[in-house]
Amino acid sequence: MNRLFFLLCLVAMPGFAADELHLYNWNNYIAPETVDRFEAYCKCKVIQDYYSDNEELLAKLAAGAKGYDILVPTGNALASLVRQGALLPLDKRLIPNLKNINPAYLNTPFDPGNRYSVPYAYTTTLIGYNVEKMKRLGLPTDTWAVIFDPKYLARVKGRVTVLDSQRELMAAALKYLGYSANDTVEAHWYRAEQVILRAKPYWAAFNSSSYIKELTVGNIWLVHGYSNDMFQAQSDAKAARRKFTIGFSIPKEGAVLALDNMVIHKYAPRPDLAHKFINFMLDGKNSSELTNMIGSGNPNLAALKYINPEIASNPAIFPGKKELGKLEMLQDLNMEQRRVLNRLWIKIKIE
Amino acid sequence: MAKNFGKWLISGPPVLYLVVFFVIPTCIMVLASFRYAGEYGGLAPIFLHDASGAHLNLTLESYREFFSDFIYSWLFIKTLIYALVTTFFCLLTAYPLALLIARSASKYRDLLVLLVILPFWSNFLIRIYAWMILLGPQSAFSAALNGFLGIFGVGPVRLLFTPFAVVLCLIYVQLPFMVLPLYANLEKHDPALLDAAQDLGANGWQRFWRVTFPLSLPGIYAGIALVFIPVLGIFAVPDILGGTRGIMIGNLIKQEFLEARDWPFGSALSIMLTIGAMIIVGGAALVARRRGRGDV
Repeated sequence: MNRLFFLLCLVAMPGFAADELHLYNWNNYIAPETVDRFEAYCKCKVIQDYYSDNEELLAKLAAGAKGYDILVPTGNALASLVRQGALLPLDKRLIPNLKNINPAYLNTPFDPGNRYSVPYAYTTTLIGYNVEKMKRLGLPTDTWAVIFDPKYLARVKGRVTVLDSQRELMAAALKYLGYSANDTVEAHWYRAEQVILRAKPYWAAFNSSSYIKELTVGNIWLVHGYSNDMFQAQSDAKAARRKFTIGFSIPKEGAVLALDNMVIHKYAPRPDLAHKFINFMLDGKNSSELTNMIGSGNPNLAALKYINPEIASNPAIFPGKKELGKLEMLQDLNMEQRRVLNRLWIKIKIE
Repeated sequence: MAKNFGKWLISGPPVLYLVVFFVIPTCIMVLASFRYAGEYGGLAPIFLHDASGAHLNLTLESYREFFSDFIYSWLFIKTLIYALVTTFFCLLTAYPLALLIARSASKYRDLLVLLVILPFWSNFLIRIYAWMILLGPQSAFSAALNGFLGIFGVGPVRLLFTPFAVVLCLIYVQLPFMVLPLYANLEKHDPALLDAAQDLGANGWQRFWRVTFPLSLPGIYAGIALVFIPVLGIFAVPDILGGTRGIMIGNLIKQEFLEARDWPFGSALSIMLTIGAMIIVGGAALVARRRGRGDV
């Protein structure tokens, strides 16, 4: 009996684990100084693990991963986690700083009433480009047409990359055609597929990871990618004293907004620390540090005054009312729709 | 039985290891390929419970999907071609190298083998990223090649993000796996055999083709197996260097598990790949054995 008790203790150990917060977050998605300050504040240790893709997070949790306190899923992945009952409801009494969040980013369809989630930061999916090359080639930078229309693409053949993501690329093509990014009418999907197949010969690659570098060194001139990454490419090009600059803008047809949210996993060993962490991150100054580091969009109104004015005034990072109206958050697809889209995507990639 | 006890004792742990980490996971995967996908990734339950009791919740849908569209088979064929080309060039370049090492003075041999293994000391992905830099349009290598081609009036070629880049990098990555078994084999050849052949009037080429080459066949088979099979499942290289036309079956399997959240179909693809590899390797082994017997 004693032995059994001992074994149970071993199994339950994580429950009384040392003062450690396990944060499962995107790569490079929290400022190191913020982590240091939180560790000092809560007298605990933050143990970080990273993913590079919502699907990676979902797959890992579906395979039974436990021991994470905080996860930072994007809207559609959040919806999926909520429906699976994989999250712990938040105790809002422990999160007074919730008042700092811009109401425009609260109460999303993914988690109505924010029972489980608190907005953390966001990115937009847009076009980034080599400013000088675009000017010299006379290409527009305010429309998806430049990515999809052979008329323009002929001038930048082999110098364009698009995201290696079915949802994102499909959303861009749908927006280009004037549909919603969340359109699920199959006929519209097939039209979007045609658009993509027509443009594909001009693209160099489907690339979600190294386009920042390619843009910075000047191998690639035009990319479909995330605003954070464009910001990094821009700063890197500046730091490397390149002869060109990197620009990025939200196409006039509209684009995808990806809002990342802090949530607490059902099996969180330390929900108490997790609440502390969420409240801490909602503090204006703490929240601003990530934006200043990677140029992410920030839903925190109290953070604005700490944010580097150059970033705060960029409409691609802080969209005004007009732009915000044209941004859409991607909703989760059901199994049937995913299968159809996946088959479309395989054809796109193989043909 | 008692006589064999020692043998069992020695081979037991590796057999157990293979059973636990290969046979059981493979069975799980076979089962997974007949299940339905879970709504949020993962798998649907094997048994469905309703008023009349539990029902098996299995399906052939994943396999039906595979055979319903030639596009999947085409990707298999393409992957196979990449693997064959990679294996062929690995063999072509590794054989002279292995022979050179095996025939060099014994005091240098260890050093030369060490040099072959040296690339393993740096991370696989970093080595692939290095190829990105080498093949990029800004690189000295690309510039030199395009300058050379320019002399003949051939327009600048793009190297990065092409199937060529994928195969080139695959050859680079797999080359040591071909060199090592070949070297291990060639090093053991008895030089007296070559002397005997020479005494009987064989010239250099005959000595190689009639003596060295047939003796090295086991090394060649081992090298081919070590290169060919891993290449079939690789996804990192085409992901990074492949561009819009370079994807392989490994990328599709990865995509099924992650983006598509369709584990059963991903498992079915993996199993088809395993079966395909077994047929090819088994067939090749059979042919080789028959030929070997025929020669005697």
